[in-house]
Amino acid sequence: MTAPLVVAIPSKGRLQKDSAALFARAGLEVAQQGAERSYRGVIAGIDDVEIAFLSAPEIAREIGAGAVHLGITGRDQVEESVPDFATRTDLVLPLGFGHCDVVVAVPEAWIDVVTMEDLDDVAAGFRPRHGRRLTVATKYITITRRFFAGHGIADYRIVESLGATEGAPATGAADLIVDITSTGATLRDNGLKILADGVILKSEAHLVASRDADWGAGQLVALQTMLGRLAPKRSFRALLGRLGKPAG
Amino acid sequence: MTAYAPLRALFADAGYAFVEPPILHAADVFVELAGEDLRRRLFLTTAADGREMALRPDYTIPVCLHHLAGVPARRRAGYAYLGPVFRQRSDEASEFLQAGVESLGRTDRVAADADMLKLALAAVDCLGVRRPIVRIGDSALFAALLDRLDLSRPWRRRLARTFGDASRLRELIARAADGVPQSTAGAAAMSRAATRKKAAAMLAATGLGTIGGRTADEIAERMVEKTALAAGIGVRPARILGDYLDIVGPPAQALKEARGLFRRNRLDAAKALDGFEARLAAFAARDIDLDGLAFAADFGRRLDYYTGFVFEMHASRRRGAKQIVGGGRYDSLVALIGDTGAVPAVGFAVWLDRIANGGDKAP
Repeated sequence: MTAPLVVAIPSKGRLQKDSAALFARAGLEVAQQGAERSYRGVIAGIDDVEIAFLSAPEIAREIGAGAVHLGITGRDQVEESVPDFATRTDLVLPLGFGHCDVVVAVPEAWIDVVTMEDLDDVAAGFRPRHGRRLTVATKYITITRRFFAGHGIADYRIVESLGATEGAPATGAADLIVDITSTGATLRDNGLKILADGVILKSEAHLVASRDADWGAGQLVALQTMLGRLAPKRSFRALLGRLGKPAG
Repeated sequence: MTAYAPLRALFADAGYAFVEPPILHAADVFVELAGEDLRRRLFLTTAADGREMALRPDYTIPVCLHHLAGVPARRRAGYAYLGPVFRQRSDEASEFLQAGVESLGRTDRVAADADMLKLALAAVDCLGVRRPIVRIGDSALFAALLDRLDLSRPWRRRLARTFGDASRLRELIARAADGVPQSTAGAAAMSRAATRKKAAAMLAATGLGTIGGRTADEIAERMVEKTALAAGIGVRPARILGDYLDIVGPPAQALKEARGLFRRNRLDAAKALDGFEARLAAFAARDIDLDGLAFAADFGRRLDYYTGFVFEMHASRRRGAKQIVGGGRYDSLVALIGDTGAVPAVGFAVWLDRIANGGDKAP
């Protein structure tokens, strides 16, 4: 038998519900295999598809590693976790849910700081004055480094945040944050404001393909079938051609 | 047998004592000095007590730490090293060999700079690299020019810290010419006192006033500076800066051009120019072929502890060829890692891995 098309879908939270609804609308009926809490599943009526239930960050990493062919995850997760994501992944289809912005937010009391250029001035003057570098709390280490470097900001350091990033300035864990927001309300509640040019990325959930996965004829056929159900009006010929080419 | 025996002998005979500082260091010292961009390239691990540790990415900071373990910090000492350093690199091995020397405490800076370039040239020659391409720069000249141009403090600082990133610096100068509208969202008109009061109230309201971050005074002070930023530096200073940064070529000719530029614009930077000229004389006294050096006015390092003379060497002019030697004066480094005040320091590193990989095949 041929190896299946491995499709990773979110296992929990809002993304899981939205993904399940999307598949249901497309007539893709996901059935868990075996026990109730199994992490593997199949799609009724389509052979050669294996479903893996994973968290959104895990899905991005597995796509980066080429361990799954296709997954539903946020664009933010792909850009954060997959090195050289532009050449190693395809954002096949935006899914219309999971919207969030990755933003740079500073204390509202920093009246003088409106743009990234202001932040650069503050960062450069911070160590001489405070004897330490300006600190940025974030879960998005790669994205933050790339964005700050693009603005020529070098004088700062990242404090990795594992949760409740928006609270970091108030607790003294960091001076500012890079985090996701959908309405900005949580940031405002924590006395933070988004810089005018501080929206790093407008993210939403995507169907993402891994170019590093093994794409055989069987997987390409299964992919075509799934895409035909999910977006019947769109043509994916270019994508299928790209994935069908041997790597390198 | 000892690898690189001739190179070791060269450094030892020149009076540099070989040291082998630890490979593993608290990561803080590297991250605090070089910033987040270096951290990306560090190999990090966590000690059992939770401290973040790093494999040394180069020898300069470890050698300075070694120097600071003795007293007094200002004593004169010369160190040599040869061993592995570690950086995350995708196109080259992440563990690779560097050799080099660090000279601390010499107050005869001109002679020390020249000795350093001379020894670096001898080092690559001993490794079989014929006719390396040698690029030199001097951030002290740019700093002197900034001083003479009578710029507002915030613009002077912006320009000074961007030196070393040639394209970004030119972009910044273009914007500085006319000033930039600062999007302060109506807050620009606030006085220093009003800004201070408002910021203090907001810091207090969010509990941010007491945790060691930016203070209301600091915010108010910078608010005033934004007015100066909005005003720009003027077209004439911007043109002079641009003309200076365009100077490239053999150093004697570059010096002449710089003198001419400064004179035409009635800027007295004699001290920095004389310092540069004295260094060229010291090169010549050591039989360094001045016409074989390429000065570039915009060449410098972004790291703020490099304070003057810098140089680098390439084995070929091939596009994408990587440097095989990097060196320069870093008088501010020791003060940043110890409580001892500034100590004059100059040194260079040879990328042995890159020379083994084709340096000797260069044309």
